[in-house]
Amino acid sequence: MADASLLRVDDLALHYQTRNGVVRAVDGVSFDIQRGEALVILGESGCGKSSLAKTLMRVLPRNVHHVGGRVTLDGVEISALPDERFRRDVQWSRMALVMQASMNALNPVVKVGAQVAEPLRVLRRWPRRRALERAAEVFALVGLSNDFMTRYPFELSGGMRQRAVLAMALVAEPDLVILDEPTSALDVLTQASIMNVLKRVKRELGTSFILITHDVATSSELADRVALMYAGELVEVCDARRFFSEPAHPYSRMLMASVPRLRQRERPQSIPGQPPSLLWPPAGCRFAARCPERFASCDHSPPALPLHERHRVRCWLHALDNASPVSDGPRSTGEEGTHDR
Amino acid sequence: MTLPRSAQASSDAKARSTARRSLARDLRHLLLFALRRLVGLLFTVLVGVYLTIVIANMGGKVDELRLVQIRSDVSEMVRADPAFQDMPAEERNTLIARQVGLEVERLRLDEPFLLRSFDYLQRAMRLDLGRAEQMHSDSGSRQVYDLIVERLPATLLLFGSANLLVFFTSVFAALYLSRRYGGAVDRSIIALAPSSAAPGWFYGIFLILFFAFLVPLLPAGGMVSVPPPEGRLAYAASVLRHMLLPLAAMFLSSIFISIYSWRTFFLIHSSEDYVEMARAKGLPSKLIERRYILRPTLSPIITSFLLMLIGLWSGAIILEQVFNWPGLGSLLFQAIGHRDTPVIIGGVVIFAYLLAATVFFLDILYALLDPRVRIEGGKQ
Repeated sequence: MADASLLRVDDLALHYQTRNGVVRAVDGVSFDIQRGEALVILGESGCGKSSLAKTLMRVLPRNVHHVGGRVTLDGVEISALPDERFRRDVQWSRMALVMQASMNALNPVVKVGAQVAEPLRVLRRWPRRRALERAAEVFALVGLSNDFMTRYPFELSGGMRQRAVLAMALVAEPDLVILDEPTSALDVLTQASIMNVLKRVKRELGTSFILITHDVATSSELADRVALMYAGELVEVCDARRFFSEPAHPYSRMLMASVPRLRQRERPQSIPGQPPSLLWPPAGCRFAARCPERFASCDHSPPALPLHERHRVRCWLHALDNASPVSDGPRSTGEEGTHDR
Repeated sequence: MTLPRSAQASSDAKARSTARRSLARDLRHLLLFALRRLVGLLFTVLVGVYLTIVIANMGGKVDELRLVQIRSDVSEMVRADPAFQDMPAEERNTLIARQVGLEVERLRLDEPFLLRSFDYLQRAMRLDLGRAEQMHSDSGSRQVYDLIVERLPATLLLFGSANLLVFFTSVFAALYLSRRYGGAVDRSIIALAPSSAAPGWFYGIFLILFFAFLVPLLPAGGMVSVPPPEGRLAYAASVLRHMLLPLAAMFLSSIFISIYSWRTFFLIHSSEDYVEMARAKGLPSKLIERRYILRPTLSPIITSFLLMLIGLWSGAIILEQVFNWPGLGSLLFQAIGHRDTPVIIGGVVIFAYLLAATVFFLDILYALLDPRVRIEGGKQ
């Protein structure tokens, strides 16, 4: 099958060097996105979501120990491009990033309009006037009045700043926009209107999105597909509708059970325990320690097993018997993983 | 995504008029801000100078000492004068009393100190600094103003060049190091930072020992050779030779800590969210350094530059003594030694004015550089 996907990520890894050892923040992540599709990456704090975004955009911190994997954009392997080419040809013009804490993502001493127009001026060498006109267009698109073009960031409210950063991400008409927790610092009403802007942009411009969040409720609005991240790995990647109705991975199920819903009798369930340290991740399944359905096979790291078309789960429960590393095969529930080698 | 054509034209005109309006708004805020700061600073100088006058006169106590001094001087003079030798004691005493009275009236010591302190104040504010009690300038003038003006250039020359050298060297070295954080050069400079625990004059003593006595290459002190060489060029060369050692002493004592602190400063500011955003935007690193690191931090950089200038006005007492440099520091040192109140007050007044001027300049620069100051500051 010819690869029709816009972005294809294979076995992406990002390891940090710290005083205590190597932190495996992103560890063997694979997924793909079609053109015009929105992928939501869900996960708890500290599971490596933001690191994943930064690895894709090559905004790496100083203490990087290892970066690995293949990233292909439109059939071009961008992970193999030298930094300078990547910066010129891919960053912002093809892929843009709205970072977490975008409250402070604007330069405090430059007018907002000039900042939004900046990528065009610098990367495409557009004349000032033309770039500002284009900036005015995206201002309208994200629902910001043009009066704010000549304002400084500190004169804008949080929601306006978020819109301005969004405008900046859209200004060069990229194929893909990565949004890292775009609404988590905002009040509910502003959240809703930002999500509406995103939906409109997706519908009208056909832009693909990667939306990184911990907020299951907000993510369901935009998502075509969902990837659930746990301890540096994607444990389940699947169609959004299927994920929200019948999640396959035990972690997915428990996560969905922890979300409060309207008109729901039973109380939301929390997941006992803590995610493992990314310094010394357990040898087997990383969720095993918190999993109620753990059994012998869980001492071995499960591969991403295909379940349906474009649906992968990293759990032995869904393995065919012959794919399991343990001869007696998986049991459905309740067994304690006391398997010893 | 594109707007209809008519809407675009009207939005164009609108954008231009908003730009003009925002410029006018900025200018108005700036002027208001400058005016308010000027009034505030003048008041600060007024209070500072008045406090100095009160303290240097010990709240009027110095006048009593002066009265005793006048009495003993006058009686000494009258007793020593052969013309009054055979005068009866009573007559002589009335003569002395009259002379003392005249002198008291001349100095207006009969008026309350409070009244005179305001008189001093208004004269000081007009830079009418009066006459020194003991000291005189090299040209023989006893005007405090002349004394200070004579010494100021020497201080400015030495400390100005030393501080400029340290400032620019350390800022650029720090930018370089912040790019190579954790490298060998970075770590060795950091390791050298504690060398700044010793003051400049301490290094000065060793430099004099090595380069003036063990290997006599440079003069041990003074500002120019004796007698001063003829011709401008020769004179300048001689001053330069005399400057080298004190300059080196100051440079050595402050360069490493200065690089260290600027490097930390740049490291902190290069992890700001907007800098990371600029990196994600794919801007070239030179541009990021200029527009996203240096530009937003220009206010603190300039502050520390001007604070350095403020420190420079007063010179450095011990360093000037060690190198026998004829600057303001040693002038104040001598004035304190002689208890020459007008010189001390005069020095403080000049210093207060220079300080206020520097701060005012700084405020305006802030407002020009940082929209947050200009707009918020003009609003209140």
